[in-house]
Amino acid sequence: MIKNYIKTAWRNIRNNKFYSVINIVGLTVGLVVGLFILLWVQDELSFDKFNTKAPNIYKIGIRGGSGPTEQIFSAIIAPVATSAKNELPEVKDAVRVKDFGSTTFKYQDKIFNENGAFTDPSFFSVFNFSLIEGDAQKPFLDNNSIIITKTVAQKYFGNEDPLGKVLSIIDQPQLFKVTGVINDPPNNSSIKFDVFLPLSYLNQMAYVKNSTRYNGTGRIASMDVDWISFNYDTYLLLKPNTNIAKLQKSLQKIHERNKPDDAPVPYIAQPLLNIHLYKADGSDGGIKTVNTFAIVAILILIIACINYVNLSTARSMLRAKEVSMRKIIGAGKAQLFFQFMAETTLMFLIATILAIGLMYALLPYYNQFSGKQLALNLSNYHIWLCIVITLIITLAASSIYPAILLSSFEPLKALKGRLTAGMGNASFRRMLVITQFSASIVLIISTFIIGKQLKYIRDKDLGFNKENVISLSMHGIMPHYDAVKNELLKQPGIIAVTRSSGNIIDYNNWTGDNDWDGKPANSNLLFHPMEIDKDFISFFKIRMLQGNAFTGAIADSNHLIVNETAVEAMNMHEPIGKRLRIQTVKGTIIGVVKDFHFSSMRKKIEPAVFMYNTSNGWDMYIKTTGGDAQKAIVATQAIWKQYNSNTPFNYTFLDESFSKLYKTEQQTGVLFNLFASIAIIISCLGLFGLATYSAQVKTREIGIRKVLGASVAGIVKLLALEFMFLILAAIVIAVPVAWYAMSKWLQDFAYRISIEWWLFLIAGLMAMLIAFVTISFQSVKAAIANPVKSLRSE
Amino acid sequence: MIKITNLEKFYRTEEVETIALNKLSMHVDTGEFVAIMGPSGCGKSTLLNILGMLDDPDEGSYVFNDIEVAHFNERKRADLRKHNIGFVFQSFNLIDELTVFENVELPLIYTGVPTGERVKRVEEVLDKMQIMHRRNHYPQQLSGGQQQRVAIARAVVNKPKLILADEPTGNLDSSNGNDVMELLTDLNEQGTTIIMVTHSEHDARYSHRIIRLLDGQTVMENIMI
Repeated sequence: MIKNYIKTAWRNIRNNKFYSVINIVGLTVGLVVGLFILLWVQDELSFDKFNTKAPNIYKIGIRGGSGPTEQIFSAIIAPVATSAKNELPEVKDAVRVKDFGSTTFKYQDKIFNENGAFTDPSFFSVFNFSLIEGDAQKPFLDNNSIIITKTVAQKYFGNEDPLGKVLSIIDQPQLFKVTGVINDPPNNSSIKFDVFLPLSYLNQMAYVKNSTRYNGTGRIASMDVDWISFNYDTYLLLKPNTNIAKLQKSLQKIHERNKPDDAPVPYIAQPLLNIHLYKADGSDGGIKTVNTFAIVAILILIIACINYVNLSTARSMLRAKEVSMRKIIGAGKAQLFFQFMAETTLMFLIATILAIGLMYALLPYYNQFSGKQLALNLSNYHIWLCIVITLIITLAASSIYPAILLSSFEPLKALKGRLTAGMGNASFRRMLVITQFSASIVLIISTFIIGKQLKYIRDKDLGFNKENVISLSMHGIMPHYDAVKNELLKQPGIIAVTRSSGNIIDYNNWTGDNDWDGKPANSNLLFHPMEIDKDFISFFKIRMLQGNAFTGAIADSNHLIVNETAVEAMNMHEPIGKRLRIQTVKGTIIGVVKDFHFSSMRKKIEPAVFMYNTSNGWDMYIKTTGGDAQKAIVATQAIWKQYNSNTPFNYTFLDESFSKLYKTEQQTGVLFNLFASIAIIISCLGLFGLATYSAQVKTREIGIRKVLGASVAGIVKLLALEFMFLILAAIVIAVPVAWYAMSKWLQDFAYRISIEWWLFLIAGLMAMLIAFVTISFQSVKAAIANPVKSLRSE
Repeated sequence: MIKITNLEKFYRTEEVETIALNKLSMHVDTGEFVAIMGPSGCGKSTLLNILGMLDDPDEGSYVFNDIEVAHFNERKRADLRKHNIGFVFQSFNLIDELTVFENVELPLIYTGVPTGERVKRVEEVLDKMQIMHRRNHYPQQLSGGQQQRVAIARAVVNKPKLILADEPTGNLDSSNGNDVMELLTDLNEQGTTIIMVTHSEHDARYSHRIIRLLDGQTVMENIMI
């Protein structure tokens, strides 16, 4: 029996090539795109799950600041971890991680940059980063130990045993002996470093040996009594079923007991499994995009399924004779049902095989596109689960209704062709077409709005000039900044040079240690402090609203410049000449600059204060003429070599760094473009099939009309009008849905476009036009056919 | 074998009610060959459909092999039908996607006959209909006469007690038509009851008895000698 089902199904597919191709292409494209997106979603949702203790690991944060400047510090002070572990019974273990960024390591003649962190030994037992080589009980043997990943080991030592090998950091005297090797962190790990140094080494260097940290009473002797520096990502391993609210309170108490003047200082414990997609306070940190994409994937799959259902039910009339005959001969409903299920399954099987083949071929491009490193890993059962579930659901959605419809024909009526007139499912099909096009139009509108918002961000006046600026970290240049600056200015193509203590594109330093005349007692205002040289403001063409910029005079070390927002936040009238203390700088405000964006457009501009400092400032900016940028880079590199003989020369254009800020948005934009196109293509494929069918069914009617004198235009109108009404209905449904969804998306941006009505109009017209072109192809063909022929065909 | 009494069937559209069968009564004995004749719209096909249990009557009684089937549900009718009745249509109604062999095999599949037995029986009947050499062809590759022979083979492969033929020669030339009528006569002589709707007086002469219908009623019965 099954053999018979498959045989018939195969012959049906073969004998109706046009519809089979449309069905298979639609399904394949739908499956490829739908599955790709679902794989992406699955990957996003899988972050950090590889840690077996993940459900009991929490990252600790602190709420700081108040009002508009409220911030969540995800890196906190060091003593909290030790105190929590010692004092709180529910805390089984604690890990601190201090990122030290990209650092150049050397072994013999091999020099590479590695991303590293200082951490506690517990890192290797709390997380699933257990040592594959070395002593798990004692990962770091002493302060000069280093633990590296497998890849790093391979890179420096090849196939030699890495344990006991000695690595050095360029331009630093310390040597580090490899005492452990871990597997590379998986791609879906939020915590990703190449090398690890003991946190006790940092303590030794930064506190014990030559502490540069002071509090109100003097030198801080150890990081474990430093309640000031917010530097350490802190993770606690808790006992199962710990009361998190209580834990947060306990942590707060510990903090306030040790540093009473910080009170109140609310603590936040965020589950490790949340940190990839949520911010510490539980707000969106990517989960929205994940959800959106999941919905889009489902929409595309639905559109593909609808195509199949539409075409197979429409064509069921053409198969009425076969079905009836089978019934008359003795086929039961169940037998017919399974016959049609078999047909759909076969069609799906073909589409699935094609889809998986295509996915293999397209995966590298998709990864490039989505910024992921997805692999169709045959051993990853999650991926297969994802694929199998998708297939089962889409298969069920596409097969059951047509199978029921076909198997329930009344044989006699079907045989007589009486079904064609009274097929009750025409309205059902119309509904499906409307659904398809609604979804497509929503995607088109979304694409428009996302594109427009991205363009808005790109083109918005940042309040400073980032054109033709090269930025680099100074390393060894720092002590010789003035000499280097003079030398650089002599080079052709270089117009100006300046420095600052942080990246102007994305500046994230904070301080709450401030005071000014009339500061309210309950104020917890946070400032972005930035140390700059005298040319910074003119270099970036930042507008002075009041007062003056720094001149380089000695007195400037006690001068401060603030931005508009800071003036407002401090509620200061006539700010010039007012006193303001930022950390240890007790200064006078000499100028106010117009607000400029020193952070992502997602955030409102926050209070900033600029301090004059001739010796600090890690970032150097070089402005070129643009045309001579290449020459300027070559010259800079030559000078760089004199001071940083070992550190590789790295530079970025500010323009590029700026674009990177919106990488996620750009990717979302590109992906949406793609999704919308695919959705509309699949929808049109279905529409094309339906229009073809419609023309086929109406061949006789068209013939009669033509004999009676109907024009080609009249007939095209007759055929196309029905479908155009469906598209119109789809637009009516899509507009409010798209408006709602896009308003939500835009809310994330502090600076955003308003949604304008004409966007909807254009999207609607576009859908109409695409649909019309699709339909008229068949309509015109039917309309210009010789009526004698079409009449004979009946 | 068949006894119908006061059978009525109406077709309703929104405004018009048409009476297709008007208190019709008749009977057919086992082994008979009956022809039903009458002008278009007289109810011949409706009657044949009800006899074939493809349709149910609105009023009246239909006893088939001593079972009252007039108000059987579709499932029961289908069950009775597939074991007892074979159909032959004017337009052959073969399934285009299946070969000659597969078309004839289909009723056996639906009645659950095992594979070995199926092949034997299909070959037997194809042999008898002299289309064995065409067993792997598709219907479109056959002439009308050949197609109708396949259709008859399909109708008889399950060894039904009754064959209902709806203008079996209507789409055939006279020579092929005569062949088909000879086949039906042979089947009848071997014991199969046959009821045939026809417009052709020539074909009707193959039968034992002609029932003439007009406006849904029997107007005359001729016994053929």
